[in-house]
Amino acid sequence: MAAITEPVAANANQINQDILRVLTPPSSLYVISVLLLMGVVGAGVAALAYQTWKGFGVTGLNHPVMWGVYITSFVFWVGIAHAGTLISAILYLFRAKWRSAINRGAEAMTVFAVITAALFPLIHIGRLWKVYFMLPYPNQRGLWVNFKSPLIWDVFAVNTYMIISILFLYVGLIPDIAAARDKCTDWRRNLYNILALGWRGTAEQWRHHARTVLHLSGLATPLVLSVHSVVSWDFAVSLVPGWHTTIFAPYFVAGAIFSGMAMVITLMVPVRKAFGLEAHIRSEHFDNMGKFIVLTSSIVAYSYAIEFFMAWYSANPFEQGSFWHRAFGDYWWATWIMIICNVVIPLPLWIKRVRVNVVALWVISIFINLGMWFERFVIITTGLSHEYNPAAWGYYTPSWVELTILLASFAWFLMWFLLFLRIFPIVAIQEVKESHYETQEEGAH
Amino acid sequence: MAQVLGVLSTPGGTVAAVESLKQAGFDNLEVYSPVPSHAIEHALGKGPSWVRLWTLIGGLTGVATGYLMTIWMAYDSGVVIGGKPFASIPAYTIIAFELTILFGGVLTVLGLMAHGLLRTARRDPVYRPSFSNDEFGCLVRCHSDQIPRVQELLQGAGSMEVRVVEG
Repeated sequence: MAAITEPVAANANQINQDILRVLTPPSSLYVISVLLLMGVVGAGVAALAYQTWKGFGVTGLNHPVMWGVYITSFVFWVGIAHAGTLISAILYLFRAKWRSAINRGAEAMTVFAVITAALFPLIHIGRLWKVYFMLPYPNQRGLWVNFKSPLIWDVFAVNTYMIISILFLYVGLIPDIAAARDKCTDWRRNLYNILALGWRGTAEQWRHHARTVLHLSGLATPLVLSVHSVVSWDFAVSLVPGWHTTIFAPYFVAGAIFSGMAMVITLMVPVRKAFGLEAHIRSEHFDNMGKFIVLTSSIVAYSYAIEFFMAWYSANPFEQGSFWHRAFGDYWWATWIMIICNVVIPLPLWIKRVRVNVVALWVISIFINLGMWFERFVIITTGLSHEYNPAAWGYYTPSWVELTILLASFAWFLMWFLLFLRIFPIVAIQEVKESHYETQEEGAH
Repeated sequence: MAQVLGVLSTPGGTVAAVESLKQAGFDNLEVYSPVPSHAIEHALGKGPSWVRLWTLIGGLTGVATGYLMTIWMAYDSGVVIGGKPFASIPAYTIIAFELTILFGGVLTVLGLMAHGLLRTARRDPVYRPSFSNDEFGCLVRCHSDQIPRVQELLQGAGSMEVRVVEG
């Protein structure tokens, strides 16, 4: 990773001011954006209400494709969440100092992405009022949930991930909330006062805080690897051609980090520009994120290739048929969007000049987001639409209800992110200051 | 007991202040800092945080709950699924793993609250907003006849301001 040695700002007070400035009263553009996003979320809620009232017939889901846009989006959003934990937990354990400028934004993104993801199984259930069936609870029938099912593993994995991500974000925020509390004079002061839990930055508090962050990182690291592995087993444990493969867990985890890192770039480039955070989120950070994208894009490209190779090498006609269908069948367009966006378009990132060009990086990151959504769409729909029996093959077209809910999920995610960055510091103040003091002391010696 | 507060501008200066006070026999110290610092922690001679015990208890409770819950519920249902035994350990390991992380994480945060946060949530007359910005505070609790000596040591360590605080 590129070494970051230059001081991040003139002094600690400057860091405080720069980052807390984002919390000042919002511009009209910001208010309009949030209202617009709320409108799209409202359209999604209306579509969901319509689906709940009329039944699942209003979606394009029908035999043989019973999983479509909803499960695709669930896997996509769980994947997006992964970069936040990678940056905040794994890079923390590796003592990668460059993470300090982007970890808060990535952690917030994780929380909102996993909350968005968690909505999709509920939407996909159709009968929303039966949602509690997924939990083990005592009932008159004497039945408990089936713990041998990957779908129940998912319930535990995703909920654990959501709770741990929220705790991780909050624990990291406590000292920064205290900094905001001490600076703030309006109504938010009371909010910060409660949320700071009496933080005063004593050595005793820091001692317990550092240990908590360390332990949460240690717990979140295997968790992040497990969550997308468990999600991949929703597919891999079944017998559907194209799904039943042992490569799925590492393939999904690499894809998750790939898409998540792209989403961090998609969000942080405009935030950096809009709030003048160039002194703190610098080209070196984007360079390092670009390197992650190069690495994970290569793993994803390898996985695509090896899947086709294994289909050919297995001499299994169903597996071969499924992959032929994937590349040249009904969904050829989706497959090639996936390959072009995830394998071809990121290739220029091998060149440093492109990685440090934030505009180029931002455009590439958007294509990767698109490509990774299509990756999950391709896996799910090509697998289900072309199973063993030719008489049971079919073609799935999403309905307007599904597409509205999909669009609303993006609006929902962005709305929370925008609200978050006006209420809480979007860059981890204490971590940036820590780097600042370390650089200063190294210079003094 | 009197309280003397020295306000410093760097972590290095704070460490120097703590070390000189410790050498002079002043052990009842508290440091306020806008950033975490191992050097300050080390100078104060603090041991490892008890939060680690909370994590351990949480993790062990989680793994035990994960296995016991799944095995008991499978036997209680009495429904054979896929011809597999009721106690299907490989499948239940995933639940046990997730609950290890969940209980371990939740108890870690509760440990932080119990040891580091809620216990100190009372109003603190010494605290000032600059301690979350760019200043470090070194508070010494001593007998009133030791105040001049403490003031001298704090000033010698480069304090920008030294004052006696009303308790």
